[in-house]
Amino acid sequence: MSVLLEEASEEAALERLHALDCTDGLPVVVPTPERVDRMILASGLDADLALGEMGPAMGVATVEKVAVAAVMAGCLPDHMPVVVGAVRAAVDPMFDLGDMQGTTHCLAPLVIVNGPARHDCGGVASGFGALGPGHRANAAIGRALRLCMINIGGGRPGVSDMALHGHPGKFTYCLAEAEEHSPFPPLHVSRGYRAEDSVVTLVGCEAPHSVIYSDDADDPENAEKLLHVLSIGVANLATNHAILGYGTAVVVLNPTHADVLARANMNRETVAKRLWELTHLPAADHDRYGGGFRRPFESETYPAFASPDQFVILVAGGTGLYSMVMPSWGGGAHNNCAVSAQVELDQFCEVPGASAS
Amino acid sequence: MRDGINMARNGIPSVCLITEEFWPQAEFVAASVGMPDIPMVRLPHPVAGTGEVRIAAIADSIADQILDRFAA
Repeated sequence: MSVLLEEASEEAALERLHALDCTDGLPVVVPTPERVDRMILASGLDADLALGEMGPAMGVATVEKVAVAAVMAGCLPDHMPVVVGAVRAAVDPMFDLGDMQGTTHCLAPLVIVNGPARHDCGGVASGFGALGPGHRANAAIGRALRLCMINIGGGRPGVSDMALHGHPGKFTYCLAEAEEHSPFPPLHVSRGYRAEDSVVTLVGCEAPHSVIYSDDADDPENAEKLLHVLSIGVANLATNHAILGYGTAVVVLNPTHADVLARANMNRETVAKRLWELTHLPAADHDRYGGGFRRPFESETYPAFASPDQFVILVAGGTGLYSMVMPSWGGGAHNNCAVSAQVELDQFCEVPGASAS
Repeated sequence: MRDGINMARNGIPSVCLITEEFWPQAEFVAASVGMPDIPMVRLPHPVAGTGEVRIAAIADSIADQILDRFAA
């Protein structure tokens, strides 16, 4: 059970939550018992059901505590199944959440939503400005996971969340894949799920870095040039990948860039393979810039990524010049891999008066 | 859109060429500067980078519309 705090007013309750370091620094919706109960009901799960443990504090993420975070984040009950799915992925031991929260590197779990939940759970945006601001479901779902990481996982800056600078995606970092505008199968289908499944995929990664590329249909090297600039974005010498040789990179292709690759008869797998090939870097550079991470290489180049599977490729955003890449960390027992969890929409039930505050 | 507005404000007859996806933004900008009726012609999206053959075809398809807007 959660501890029930009492204050005389909503304003006093908000200040109390700030004083207790229970917020992300922005105002939150005060999680009154009524609001939390409504959110639990929306999950269709029992309040005391334990979804798993969240490091580094190893707090138990019960549905009730997750619902508290969802209320505080400003979620609608419709968003709750996706929040629960995101927490399920975050508590998967493969995700190494405790290590991720504790590293000095700047990581936030990017929440990628696929399948019917994109529409059924409040409308998770996948087009213009999907990474924010202005899309309520994206903002609230990503923020709910962060508030779980703060209040259940115990991640607090300079104490247990040791990111030297943090990054803005640590407030919220959530988008849906623009499946309808993608020439490729949906990301979750490529990861082994059925198209009709709803799936959350988490990747602990850096803030998005823009990659500009101007489509030129008359250029026979069009796709190869795009892949080359993307490979520079994910594995330039300033990235952990180039220095550590581990981790996962997210590549968010805008629909125009995805079309460039599709016109070259490429699919998600061949794109990943080519990106892996193009991110083989000169060993001499590593020797010069690798510092304490220098290691001997037998050939003149070395891979910045362990395999093509380390690329998470999705389509989102408006059409145009820019795609996004998110390099990552590479640490943790599982080398900062992507983790997916299914969103259980069939547990959802209508919540009486859900539109009330 | 801004180019067309600035040219029109300088007394140069102007028609703004706007691709489908940027049409809402164009209407927003036109309204926000008090010129909601500035002539615009809608292009498919995208145009840039789609190859000379396609761009020439788009030009052929809208040339009359542009002239009509100048004549209006």
